[in-house]
Amino acid sequence: MSDKVPISEDEISFVVNGDLYKVRVQSNWTLQYLLHDKLGLTGTKEFCNEGACGACAVIMDSRPVLSCLTLAIECDGKTIETIEGIARVNHPLIEAYVKHSCMQCGYCTPGFIVTAKALLDKNPSPTEEEIKEALVGNLCRCGTYPQHIKAVLEAAST
Amino acid sequence: MAKDEMSKMFELFDNLRADKYPLVEYDSIGKRGVRRIDGYEKATGAAKYTVDLQLPGMLYARFLTSPYPHAEIKSMDTSKAEAVPGVRAILRYDDPELPTEADLGGHEVSSVPVMPKVAHFQGEEVGAAVAADSEEIAEQALKLIDVEWEERPFVLDPEEALQPDAPLANPESHPSGNLYYEAVEEHGDVGKGFAEADKVIEFKFRQGLNTWVGPERPCGVFRWNGDCPEVWVKQQRPHICKRVIASWFGGIPMNKIQIHCLYQGASFGGWSQMPWNMGGHYCAAVIAKRTGRPVKWVFNRREDFYGGEMDEGVYYFKVGAKRDGVISAVKGRAVFTNQLLPFFGFVRHFHENTKIPNVYGKTEVAEVNKGLTVPTRCEQNSNCHSLTLVFNRVADALGLDPVEVALKNDGTEGHDMAWLNIKKAEMGFQVRDSLKECIEKGKAAIGWDEKWHAPGTKKLSNGKLHGLGFAWTHEWEDSAGSSEMAIRIERNDGTATIMGCRADVGVNAETAYCQVAADELGMRIEDVHYRPQIDAGFFTMTPDSSTNMSVNGFAIRNAARLLKRKILEAATSPRAATQLGSAPAAFPGKKPEELDIKDSVIYEKVNPSNRKTLAEFVGYAGAMGPIGSLSGEPTPTSQSTRYPFTWPLFEHGWQVQVGAYSGIRLRLCRQAHFMEVEVDEETGEVEVKKVVTVNDVGRVINWEGCEGQQYGGACMGVGRGRSEEVIHDPVTGVMLNGNLLNYKIPTMLDIGRIDTILVETGMGYGPYGVVGIGEDVATVIPALIGPAVHNAIGKWVDDFPITPDKVLKALGESVE
Repeated sequence: MSDKVPISEDEISFVVNGDLYKVRVQSNWTLQYLLHDKLGLTGTKEFCNEGACGACAVIMDSRPVLSCLTLAIECDGKTIETIEGIARVNHPLIEAYVKHSCMQCGYCTPGFIVTAKALLDKNPSPTEEEIKEALVGNLCRCGTYPQHIKAVLEAAST
Repeated sequence: MAKDEMSKMFELFDNLRADKYPLVEYDSIGKRGVRRIDGYEKATGAAKYTVDLQLPGMLYARFLTSPYPHAEIKSMDTSKAEAVPGVRAILRYDDPELPTEADLGGHEVSSVPVMPKVAHFQGEEVGAAVAADSEEIAEQALKLIDVEWEERPFVLDPEEALQPDAPLANPESHPSGNLYYEAVEEHGDVGKGFAEADKVIEFKFRQGLNTWVGPERPCGVFRWNGDCPEVWVKQQRPHICKRVIASWFGGIPMNKIQIHCLYQGASFGGWSQMPWNMGGHYCAAVIAKRTGRPVKWVFNRREDFYGGEMDEGVYYFKVGAKRDGVISAVKGRAVFTNQLLPFFGFVRHFHENTKIPNVYGKTEVAEVNKGLTVPTRCEQNSNCHSLTLVFNRVADALGLDPVEVALKNDGTEGHDMAWLNIKKAEMGFQVRDSLKECIEKGKAAIGWDEKWHAPGTKKLSNGKLHGLGFAWTHEWEDSAGSSEMAIRIERNDGTATIMGCRADVGVNAETAYCQVAADELGMRIEDVHYRPQIDAGFFTMTPDSSTNMSVNGFAIRNAARLLKRKILEAATSPRAATQLGSAPAAFPGKKPEELDIKDSVIYEKVNPSNRKTLAEFVGYAGAMGPIGSLSGEPTPTSQSTRYPFTWPLFEHGWQVQVGAYSGIRLRLCRQAHFMEVEVDEETGEVEVKKVVTVNDVGRVINWEGCEGQQYGGACMGVGRGRSEEVIHDPVTGVMLNGNLLNYKIPTMLDIGRIDTILVETGMGYGPYGVVGIGEDVATVIPALIGPAVHNAIGKWVDDFPITPDKVLKALGESVE
């Protein structure tokens, strides 16, 4: 087939949730695939698979990025934080999300928390409007949106 | 224990009246802030979904899909695909392992082709499945399959499909024509009703195709452990999956099948109801048998978009009303697209919750070359749209407040409220006016009396047109349902585990079951847990038709009441009764009725200091007993050191009832919704500023769960009403927007404030007076945007979703 793309392989080393990884990755792997399928960090979800929904959000070098649009091979030397890392340090967002029942099916929930964590890292006291702007790229089909605002405000005040 | 709990359980089957045996005191039921049992797991990303699953040696299967809306495979060459490194099996439509048809799930048993060779819509899975070491390799191999297609003519529009010269959309199923279902629902005489009317109006509206968009792609995993299938399903009805699998390969005994139903990235009914939803599993089972490896089959994101909600169609109405707003006749005809379950009609809500004496509705369903439409939160959409638009059209035509028109016509089955109130009392309910209560609360929250204005008359200082809308109907819980659930008191610590295999679709029903069990058993809520993913073989009612609490609530309550009796009997009986003797009762000399349980402590009613925690009472387990035990169980040699071994504490409860669909129960509870919009005349953009959603749920068990359904329903409803439509290219029949960039579900900024109000009249038939809420709001809100926009611009937009181009068109017409 003419549309077959040549695939190369290379080793990258990067830090995920404080742990150093050295892994061989193929040039066509996304970061989402690497984290979810190869490293077992299944909290980084695939929903739209084209940068429209935020379910695969991770924090890379302090910035929220969409791991489905990030090639794994570009992550050499990067520092990445996933939902598992945020949970491991028991970030106040976790408890606030549970308390305000921000999840229904729960599939998109980690992506919201990762995005909210990136917001709070940068802006520890966001307004309601700033929270909405930060989370507008995260889609929730169950429609839990109003609850997220309460949870993020509460986590910010913790 | 005055009356046998078992006979009470039987007495309440079919719940045809108010709950005869509610609790006297409630602790966690109806309390705010009960922690959801899956919250931490979901927030931390630890919750596992079927698509997350990986097993050693697992293969990934992908399906060939049709590039044409209607085509037959004449021949297929898979040799190039087979040669791709990493491809382990290719299953073809002409393989001898495949039967022509099998029962592949859906709502009920239905036999459909396992691997069809004819596609009836673009994107349909046909012809072949490739299993490979990775999804990507399977995908790559699919592209190398050479197919010789014979294209057939196709039709996409339901009314065009009914024309005499229309091509047959599915000659395999409907060789004689595209009209495959026709039915009339009626009561009274609409001719008489129109003759009595002061005003007769006629109108038409169209509803486009919207779909579920399940965040987790359709998928599943099938593994053979010897001749025993172990299956992971992304499906709403795990035990129906099990029943289906049992019918395959000449029959598999139920007791050899193990189902796992992990957390579900929901599809709101939707995907779970497609007749082929177990087709992937069948093919995976064959490939797993052939290769000796577990097989995960997956759809891609686009493939999740085929099919949708069953309200797609064209609706025609003629309505007669008196000057005062009392409606005398409703006559309708609707042509629907590809409905799998066409018998819900679209005029049933006029029958079920109005006093309108003359109603006629003719449903026609046409086959077209698009995916099937199935109940997707939910089968009541067509009915809700019809009720909302008829009532608001009548109010507009007569220059009346739509809220008043609703109250004037409230009733049931052609009878007025006085008649219904007599029935409420006869059935043991408090007589309350549910609609009036919902409306009063909703009006206050939206500011109806201050803000309501004649259509098209209010321009805001920001230059936008302001509109208010109102919609109402009954509150429902509809499925016929049987349910089995069980509770076990755990050894060692006396905590309670609820059992029953059930799909968690996110509505937090599991916490509500824990609340019921906790209050019934007298246990602390934190001592009760439900792991719904355990396949204990119990047929637990599925999360369908808003029926969670009305069926499963009874099942779990019955189990809890039987178990409480057993605990108190055990507490007053000798323990460790064996041939070597026995230990004294935990509460010697007492009778069960002299004891009670509260906060997980068993105590004597007249002497509460005589108490034991459940943990102390249950005592230690010991599979082999302590060292030196002669019997295996904890029976040390001397009586004084004997471990107080208690009976196993387990009970099983169930509930059987006929569904409200069949008209078995009168509709008593109501819901009312209000919407405030601003419309930009320049762009046609409709901004939803506020939604007030008021639901009479009878009684609230779990506040956050109910409010979650209100928030979620409002969001989904606004999306459906304002932006969501699956578009097919009329020239090629190809779906154009099967992705989340071009199929617009609401974001956090697409909907303004949502106020949730719950009303508790106690007039539900479920335990403690509950009625369902899961589907209601998402189903009523979509059409509500119609009257809200009409109130803003003074023109009706009769084509849903109401996108800016349609608003501009309507505004343009008003200028002309």
